[in-house]
Amino acid sequence: MRRIDLYLFLPAFLLSLIGIVLIFSALRDSSDQETASYLRQLVWLAVGLLVFMAVSAIAPRIYESLSILSYLVALLLLASLLFFGASRLGATRWLPIGPLSFQPSEFAKVAVILLLAHYLANRKRPQFRVRWALFCFSIVLLPALLILRQPDLGSSLVVVAVVPGMLFWGGMPITHIALLLSPVVSLLAAFHWLTWAIFMLVIIVTLLVVRPTLRFALWVLVTNLAAGIFTPLVWQRLHDYQKMRILTFLNPARDPQGAGYQMIQSKIAIGSGGLLGKGFLQGTQSKLAYLPARHTDFIFSVLGEEFGLLGCLVVLILFSVIILRGVQVARKARNRFLSLTAFGATTILAFQVLVNIGVTMGLAPVTGLPLPFMSYGGSSMLLSWSLIGLLSLVSYTWQEY
Amino acid sequence: MAFYSKEERSKIAVGFFSLLVAAVIMRLFYLQVISHAAYTQVAEENYIRVVPREAPRGLLYDRNGKLLVSNRPSYSIYFIPYQIRNPEEAFRDLSLRLSLPLATPSQLLRGRSKSKYQPIRLLRDVHFKTICVLEENSLDLPGIIYQVERARKYPPRGRGSHLLGYVAEISEAELTRFSRLGYRSGDLMGKKGVERQYDYLLRGQPGVSYLKVTAQGRILGPAGSREPVFPKPGADIKLTVDWELQSVAESLIASRGSGAAVAVDPKSGEILALVSQPNFDPNLFTGVLLDTVWQRLASDSLHPLLNRCLQGTYPPGSTFKILTAAAGLESGRVTTRTLFRTCRGGLAFGNRVFKCWRPQGHGQLTLMDAIAQSCDIYFYQLGEEIGLDLWSGYARRCLFGQLTGIDLPSELSGIIPSRAYFDEEYGEGKWPSTLIVNLAIGQGEILVTPLQMAVFFAAIANGGEILKPHLIREIKYPDGRLVGAQAELLGRLPFSPNTLNLIKAALVKAVNGERGTGRAAILASATVAGKTGTAQNPHGEDHAWFCCFAPAEDPRIAIAIVVENAGHGGSVAAPVAREMMATYFGGRLPLPAQEGVLMIEGENFW
Repeated sequence: MRRIDLYLFLPAFLLSLIGIVLIFSALRDSSDQETASYLRQLVWLAVGLLVFMAVSAIAPRIYESLSILSYLVALLLLASLLFFGASRLGATRWLPIGPLSFQPSEFAKVAVILLLAHYLANRKRPQFRVRWALFCFSIVLLPALLILRQPDLGSSLVVVAVVPGMLFWGGMPITHIALLLSPVVSLLAAFHWLTWAIFMLVIIVTLLVVRPTLRFALWVLVTNLAAGIFTPLVWQRLHDYQKMRILTFLNPARDPQGAGYQMIQSKIAIGSGGLLGKGFLQGTQSKLAYLPARHTDFIFSVLGEEFGLLGCLVVLILFSVIILRGVQVARKARNRFLSLTAFGATTILAFQVLVNIGVTMGLAPVTGLPLPFMSYGGSSMLLSWSLIGLLSLVSYTWQEY
Repeated sequence: MAFYSKEERSKIAVGFFSLLVAAVIMRLFYLQVISHAAYTQVAEENYIRVVPREAPRGLLYDRNGKLLVSNRPSYSIYFIPYQIRNPEEAFRDLSLRLSLPLATPSQLLRGRSKSKYQPIRLLRDVHFKTICVLEENSLDLPGIIYQVERARKYPPRGRGSHLLGYVAEISEAELTRFSRLGYRSGDLMGKKGVERQYDYLLRGQPGVSYLKVTAQGRILGPAGSREPVFPKPGADIKLTVDWELQSVAESLIASRGSGAAVAVDPKSGEILALVSQPNFDPNLFTGVLLDTVWQRLASDSLHPLLNRCLQGTYPPGSTFKILTAAAGLESGRVTTRTLFRTCRGGLAFGNRVFKCWRPQGHGQLTLMDAIAQSCDIYFYQLGEEIGLDLWSGYARRCLFGQLTGIDLPSELSGIIPSRAYFDEEYGEGKWPSTLIVNLAIGQGEILVTPLQMAVFFAAIANGGEILKPHLIREIKYPDGRLVGAQAELLGRLPFSPNTLNLIKAALVKAVNGERGTGRAAILASATVAGKTGTAQNPHGEDHAWFCCFAPAEDPRIAIAIVVENAGHGGSVAAPVAREMMATYFGGRLPLPAQEGVLMIEGENFW
């Protein structure tokens, strides 16, 4: 048995325990079935620790050799949801395995990291090719679409967001990444022609300064133009309810009774917590059920309400320790594959933490992402601990030398 | 662009992440430190349901301690905005289920800054059956709750409705006008009568309870963090009215059509009865007032909402001959022996012939007989003798054409025409000087209220003191303090005791004399002094008037009665006064009446 990397394990373990305490508090006055959730989460933590040990015990080269296979398995599992999936709350995310169920999307996140790391690790030329980047995006396209269909917008975004992170770590210049992603910005800017015109100007200037290959420059211009021209046309053809749905997603405050309700109540919970919080079990927003999804996606709001700014800072520090250690591990990794895997795992953790907390504070649209280690739910717990397992694995290989 | 080294890239990654964490911390600081107070308040508005507790409104009693207006338990329906997804639809559904008209949600929510967790009153005082329907459908009607409150209970059949008034929810216009007096949206407020005038005494101070409520609307108990405020009940008021007298008078007037009756205690100015017919049922206003009911009340051609005692202005007819006579005596233009031209049923002034009500004529009369028999020809000539200026001066000094200042809202002052008035109406000098001829018998452009007539006759009765009419006898504050009302002197009649005694004697003769026009008011138990009136009006039949006081020797009650479009005062109005006085005296009159009559008749030597 190898030495455990305490910089990764301890904060993750503490966060898991804090999460269980918060789940206990959030659901204490609910039905008996729900009140026992913290016990189930305790079991999930135990399983998560087992997964962590298993993941970190496997030899590193096995991951590289299994990367393509695991990707295919992930696709198969996601596709099988279309036929065997179990639905809850209007979404088909769970694959039943006997009495338990399992979210293939969480497994897909790990598989995507491995395949991207495998692909990028073998691009040996000193100059980064845009073609590689496009191939990376095409790798995640299918899993992202399958996850989006469940529907699970949050996980789908995670799978896509890991690509720019790994491209960056793989050596692609930031400016190129930015240019590559610029059509997405065009899509939004196109609602206001002047904004879009200014944005196009910025792109052209950037192209002149950065001087990428002609093909890439043309590609950037064409995609941006297409996004700018077609967005308004498509928008006009959307039904009113579809427009409303998109607008409400971007700005939940438009619908305070519906989509905005969670966000508003969450802000109230955090804001009313103040510096030191209302105290353990004293949160009115969570106790009296004003805060929806308080034990899952909005567990951070419970923390903010009952333990205040102080509690939030403690949790942020614990997460930051994991992320910073993750970057360090990626930097010191023995080979490119492990380095890229570590950075991918770190990217996923950082993305989920920041988006989840951003949502609870009203900074990001409500996407439905759990907070790693803390939100109630087995799949999220297992994913979080397997990512820590991967990071630990890379950490051992570096420390062995 | 150059490749970054691993070290550089990790620095960029750490920097990027740190920036985002810094943004998160700034946002946390903004929410939890800078906006903390605001969010704490919102959180409390979320889970603390503020339940206003209306103060028990003060009770109203009559002068003998009979309970007139009380409070009874009633059901109100509330809605909780956040539990209703689509208010328009929900209200339509509710309206159908309860078969009651409802305001639109936007109307109810306008001007309210309350949290959407706080219940808003939808309907007051709904029927118990409605609550049963609500209970049966409660699963289909989330966010609709009911609560037991109090509603006013008024006497049946609209008795005393104009005097008592009614309460209803404060309107938006009133809210802006009176908000500094502590009224809040949804409060009850007196709208008419005593309820309006003494609202500040009756309403008390509302209290409030704080309940801890879950998002699903389950009440967990009192919110420990805030102390409840107990409501302070309003003061009870003992009115000056005699309810027995009031009830009798209501039926008497009602049986004759529409009209008014005012009874005053001449010694104090206390209102003993204040009747306006037709009346309305104040109980209609306590709960859901159907539009159709309101429309019927407001557009009724008989104007049931009008308080004829102080808002009905009528020409006083012959009852006003008393003022003309007193003015003549006081100014020395006539004595009791003065004779004018003989009454042959008509007399020409200028190029117009003025008629007496008795076509065959009265012959030649002295002042006393002219009053008793109400001879128009005599008073035409007396009026001409006195002249407009002197006459209107006396009328104004008797406080006609002015508000009596009774403690009820919306009193009207009536009109006493003067030279200035006619100049204004017709242009300077462009009116005939014979107008005074008509005014002298209480016809023409003169308008008075029944209340003014009652106050005038009360002043004649008590020897010349014009006392402010009032409705409050005693106020009982919730702390047990008792405050009584004092008689208030508005002024004195501009007549000497001599003149007043002559007028009194003439009034006694007008009722009790052989040829008196008011014989229908004769009482066995007391000497009645009174004057009939039959006021012509351009809109139809004559208005029947009767004004009186009794007993003449020691007056205890003064009454003014008008019955609209009913004919002669002597035959229509005088019997009403008789019944009222009989009711009021009802055996508790100490005086052997006949002696008094003899005494006054004995003075009749002028």
